[in-house]
Amino acid sequence: MFRRFAGLLVAATLTLGLVHAQDELVIAFQGGAATLDPMMRNETTTISWQRHIFDNVTAFDRDGNVVPGIATSWENVDPTTWHFEIRQGVTFHDGTPMTAEDVAFSIDRAATHPMSEMRGGLSTYEAATALDVDTVEVTTTAPDPLMPANLDYVRVVPQALIEEVGEEAFAENPVGTGPYVFQDWLAEDYLELDANPDYWGGTPAYEDVRLTAIPNGATRVAALLSGEVDMAVTVLPQDVPRVEASSDAYVSQEPGLRVIYLALDDVREDTPGMSEPNPFLDVRVRQAVFHAIDMDTIADRIMSGASTPASQFLAPFNEGYVEDLERPAYDPERARDLLAEAGYEDGFTVRLDAPNDRYLNDALIAQAVGGQLGEVGIDVEVNAVPRAVFFPEHFNNGNSTMAISGWASNNTGATLNGIFHCWDEEAGLGRFNPFWYCNEEIDAMIADAITIFDAEERAAAFGAIIEKSQTEDVAYVPLHYQNQVVAVAEGLAFQARGDGYVFATDVTPAD
Amino acid sequence: MTTFLLRRTAQALFTVWVVATLVFALLHVAGDPAQILAPPDMNQIQVAELREALGLDEPIWVQYGVFLGNLLQGDLGISYYNGRPALELVLERLPATFELVLSALAIALVVGVPLGILAALSAGSRLDRALRFISVIGISAPTFWIGIMLILVFSVEWGLLPSSGRGGPINLVLPAVTLSLFSLAFFLRIVRSSFLEVLTQDFVRTARAKGLPRGVVNVKHALRNALIPFVTIAGLQFGQLLTSSVVTETIFAWPGMNRLVLQAMYRLDYPIILAFAIVVAVTFATINLVVDVVYGFVDPRVRHA
Repeated sequence: MFRRFAGLLVAATLTLGLVHAQDELVIAFQGGAATLDPMMRNETTTISWQRHIFDNVTAFDRDGNVVPGIATSWENVDPTTWHFEIRQGVTFHDGTPMTAEDVAFSIDRAATHPMSEMRGGLSTYEAATALDVDTVEVTTTAPDPLMPANLDYVRVVPQALIEEVGEEAFAENPVGTGPYVFQDWLAEDYLELDANPDYWGGTPAYEDVRLTAIPNGATRVAALLSGEVDMAVTVLPQDVPRVEASSDAYVSQEPGLRVIYLALDDVREDTPGMSEPNPFLDVRVRQAVFHAIDMDTIADRIMSGASTPASQFLAPFNEGYVEDLERPAYDPERARDLLAEAGYEDGFTVRLDAPNDRYLNDALIAQAVGGQLGEVGIDVEVNAVPRAVFFPEHFNNGNSTMAISGWASNNTGATLNGIFHCWDEEAGLGRFNPFWYCNEEIDAMIADAITIFDAEERAAAFGAIIEKSQTEDVAYVPLHYQNQVVAVAEGLAFQARGDGYVFATDVTPAD
Repeated sequence: MTTFLLRRTAQALFTVWVVATLVFALLHVAGDPAQILAPPDMNQIQVAELREALGLDEPIWVQYGVFLGNLLQGDLGISYYNGRPALELVLERLPATFELVLSALAIALVVGVPLGILAALSAGSRLDRALRFISVIGISAPTFWIGIMLILVFSVEWGLLPSSGRGGPINLVLPAVTLSLFSLAFFLRIVRSSFLEVLTQDFVRTARAKGLPRGVVNVKHALRNALIPFVTIAGLQFGQLLTSSVVTETIFAWPGMNRLVLQAMYRLDYPIILAFAIVVAVTFATINLVVDVVYGFVDPRVRHA
């Protein structure tokens, strides 16, 4: 009886066609685009979706280098003036030619519109003008060597159309110059796209693309394994083994931008997470913490391999990442010796604060780190609380001695100013520096490095700061990079990017 | 009847105003949306500009005045996060939620009520015990677990039903069944107990004593009376499902309004939360009205009161 019923069901579904049309490429994300107005939301999935329709002025490639977009080249005329050469012969999806005026308008809108979330990355912007058909001049309020990289925040929109129909209507029927043409969408749910046959970067491999949101991680992987979608973006650590065990799909991963780190209070004698004087003031104790943590085991047991032990506070994608800087070895013996040298043979007790709903497996990581520190004599009380408590109650106001948090930025200058610089409310520096880590030498090096115009020289200067801070001060103990994990159906070739963007143009049929 | 309807409508409008004001007040002690919206690379000046653009820099009574003024014109403001009219965002997702909730309610009624009658008529038997056991599972098993299990079996293992999204009727099967289980089990128990209660009442005994056939007594006398309180319960369940479908919507990536509002709560997107609260309040008021009117039809005592 039951087998007959199952047979009937199979017949029924075959006629209904459960598996999507063969030629359509379906990519499932955790969320969906909040809006299709490309200046409004600075959020990875929203920008991923938008960049199918719109072109960037400049962009980062998968290795973190700045590469041409609508701007083909640029030069620094004087410290506060840049000239960008504009790609010629580009048309918007409605057939109107794209001009240098459109580019200048788009930059200005992203940098000055009160609802623009791109303003943070364009804070040195002063003005953008089209000098002639193929040149846009951008001036800055102060010398900003990163202006070309910052135009990665800007997607080119048609000035005339926006002025004609209004911003709200434009966001519902967006027109860009990108590889795909907008068809239909539902906010934060799906986006239907058709290939742009006239795309300046070549016609995309897939004619018909659907981007869709499947919020639940287990469902996202199930939809891939049952053939309903071709790719599942952001595979959670617990779902990685299921994909790896399947013959229908494989996992592509890349160390992401987000570094999960341990911050130690090396400033205050009297510190909130302890009853005794703060032992972390002694650099040997901070080094001991580094040697006591075994990130390989955490990557293996807790993250199912979906993380990469961090060698430094910067991700491999970041400008200034130091290739030959190595993570201090896991060496509990060495950690115990260092603690003894510092006068803590019997260890001490400290509270470790961490969020339990903000980063992948954050509470589990906190418990594992606590256990490993216990092995060398540092008795840790793990206090893992919801983010709504952790950030305002412990992290943002320094009510902690040791805390786990995360940081992701593709702008090393911003990382150094926010995390490594001494706290200076007036200048807005050190805003994300939880326990007011402060080293005047480091500050001088940062101030100098962010004004270097030569890219190679600047990267070296950034790297020197990271290396000096880590080896001499150990105010931060980087734990790991969260990997960007994408599960892909067999028969498709795709490689995950460190910055987390996923583009249909990066997918090709596997040979 | 007309005065009754007018009075009820006025009450409903008052309720909506109270709900809107309460939600408005609660939201404004919850935190600063501008801080949550702003990416970490924005400086405080830019955050302040954003706050101003959203109208959040005004004193709270000014904001409330603006909110009420707009509300009277049917304008619930622009979503901070999506940049579109909040009511539009909620209403474009309302059909998906209603479709899911009504399907679940239909499944629960069509399956739960007959099973409840069956359990009552065979009270104490093995069948009755089995049905009651199943209903305990239906009431206590967590929705997310049932949902994931159904996906694993029907989508991944057998490839019979789609795991997610909203397309044809086939997409509705798993989410509607998942959402219906609690109500189904609940209806089964309620119908069983109220039917058993009626079966022991005097008028049923009298009908039997008059020599009426058992079937006639059961259906015409007992069942009709047993189902009277059930109208209220079904109405309440509809309201319950309407707001509790958030887990189901999330698991099956069903584009309903609850999923949108859950996200809006994380982001302190006031306009969407307010629009949702008002839509739900209006829906509840309507359901209550419908239940009261239906009562008049099924229970003469109400009609002639």
